[in-house]
Amino acid sequence: MVEGEEPLPPPHNNREVNVRKGRNKLIIPFLLPAAIIYLVIFVYPTIQALFVTLNDWSGFTPNMSYVGLRNFQELLKDPKYWISVRNTLGILFLGGIGIFGFSFLFTGTLTSGFRGKRIFRAIIFFPYLVAPIALATLWSFIYNPRFGLLNGVLRAVGLENLTQQWMAPDRLYPALLVAIVWISTGFYTVILLAGTDKIPQEFFDAAKVEGASRFQMFWRITIPMIWDVLTICLVFWGIEALKMFEFIYAFGSGDQPKIQIWTVGVYMYILSFGKRATIFRMGYGTAVAATILIFVILFVLLTRRIMRREVIEY
Amino acid sequence: MAVIQNSKIRSRESILLRGIKELPSNFVYFGSQLVLYCWVGFTIFSFIWIIVASFKTNRELFSQVWQLPSSLQFGNYIKAWSVVHMGTYFLNSVVIVSMAVLLILTIAAPAAYILSRFKFRGNEAITNLFIAGMGIPYQVLLVPLFMLFKQFSLLDNRLGLVLAYTGLSLPFSIFLLTGFFRTLPTELEEAAAIDGCSEFGIFRKVMLPLASPGLVSAAIFNFISLWNEYLLALVMITTDGKRTLSLGLYALQGAMQYTSDWVGLFAGVVIILLPTLLIYIIMSERVLEGITFGAVK
Repeated sequence: MVEGEEPLPPPHNNREVNVRKGRNKLIIPFLLPAAIIYLVIFVYPTIQALFVTLNDWSGFTPNMSYVGLRNFQELLKDPKYWISVRNTLGILFLGGIGIFGFSFLFTGTLTSGFRGKRIFRAIIFFPYLVAPIALATLWSFIYNPRFGLLNGVLRAVGLENLTQQWMAPDRLYPALLVAIVWISTGFYTVILLAGTDKIPQEFFDAAKVEGASRFQMFWRITIPMIWDVLTICLVFWGIEALKMFEFIYAFGSGDQPKIQIWTVGVYMYILSFGKRATIFRMGYGTAVAATILIFVILFVLLTRRIMRREVIEY
Repeated sequence: MAVIQNSKIRSRESILLRGIKELPSNFVYFGSQLVLYCWVGFTIFSFIWIIVASFKTNRELFSQVWQLPSSLQFGNYIKAWSVVHMGTYFLNSVVIVSMAVLLILTIAAPAAYILSRFKFRGNEAITNLFIAGMGIPYQVLLVPLFMLFKQFSLLDNRLGLVLAYTGLSLPFSIFLLTGFFRTLPTELEEAAAIDGCSEFGIFRKVMLPLASPGLVSAAIFNFISLWNEYLLALVMITTDGKRTLSLGLYALQGAMQYTSDWVGLFAGVVIILLPTLLIYIIMSERVLEGITFGAVK
């Protein structure tokens, strides 16, 4: 076949292959830089981590000593680890209930003909974009007993007797949960809203004709129609909650956070790199980190299992 | 007559009944609107409040919670910028994050183009390997990465941090960009090929411009999340002069228990907040698009 013999042939397989012979030469040079950096900086350390968990290692000497599964055995009997696990699961489930509760509420409200939807959505989302360390400062300001926002408001409305030391050790964890819900709700609201916007308006119009209430429309139409988006949101939240570190590490100001709010991610850091630790325990710390990954995998499998159902096409 | 009256009564009844039936629903609706207004009000107010407080003196802050500053204390900012080295940290963050974002896009865009539009064996496996990284908590690879960087003297090195940021940002970037490249039409690509455009030319002159909204989203998303990052920076950077802004603010917060200089700390918060706020005000739609693109198809 001679090039240009027929005017404008349909772009068919043979023709395309002929014209774009050089196409496959692009694959390796285009893929290689990303692949190399990813393999060296992400994949290799992740695989090596599995090996590190089986060793005792201070990180100061190049020699690790192989201890088999002893790190994991120790972990089972480590009360600090279990406090961290409890706190992490608390964030995942209690925080999750708060976040998804408010996200549903806001999605439902903003999609039922609410004026100023875009600006409200943008404002609700904003905290999620702010540096966690800045948010931690903001919240220690809000909770400050002397000049904080919360006590300031209580005093202003005459509820002086409700003012508290909001960051006292036994209130620190609930205080943290409230802040986390405030930070993350916007992210999930935005995604659920985007999912809701894809639902054809006819469904809601038809329901309205049938006399459905807003509440019914939300539960019977919106939720089932955004089921897949909701599943993705739950998976995102699971990963985010289980590995949470930055905001918590800075929450409460000062040095390392108090043990009342340690999560597995925080405990891992303190074990492996904590500035005030007398000895770094990098093998044990990595074993703790590996359990985060196990929790993530379990959570993702469980979520997909629970959320599985037939896809609604529309 | 009686019939008409009856139907009138019935219709009045039905309106009433319907009103009663919808009462809880409307109640919930107005209740949820109220929650929404309070939430948004609180969010706006708390950010404005910390900005206002950053212009007060410490004495004003401690004594009068609701008062505006008697005069604007720009000194708080000057002090944070130069005495507490926020200026240096700011510059470090700008350079490190910009370099990382540039590097990410330079390597992720071609890779995503290949993975989304070329058929070859192993394509799906490679794509999945990249995207699986989104589910790996950084903590797992923190120690091995630390040791690796130690071997190559990349610890306490700004270039090292750029590399680490690049590697760890690849999963999300590849995820977002492959999703984006997949949505582009093939016609233009084919037309360019028939016109004798080289394969590299097709990528650079046709596909990249078409994908620019996706590239912008990826750039913004990576910029903001790396601007805020501090777990890796905390592990890798030890010298004061090499700190990023997040790290500097963390150190400043730690020093608070000795200095009690709250207004200085708030000035630091505003300094770290401002670039994000500006980006968001200018292009919030783009930011939100980038966030939702991967999740909502």
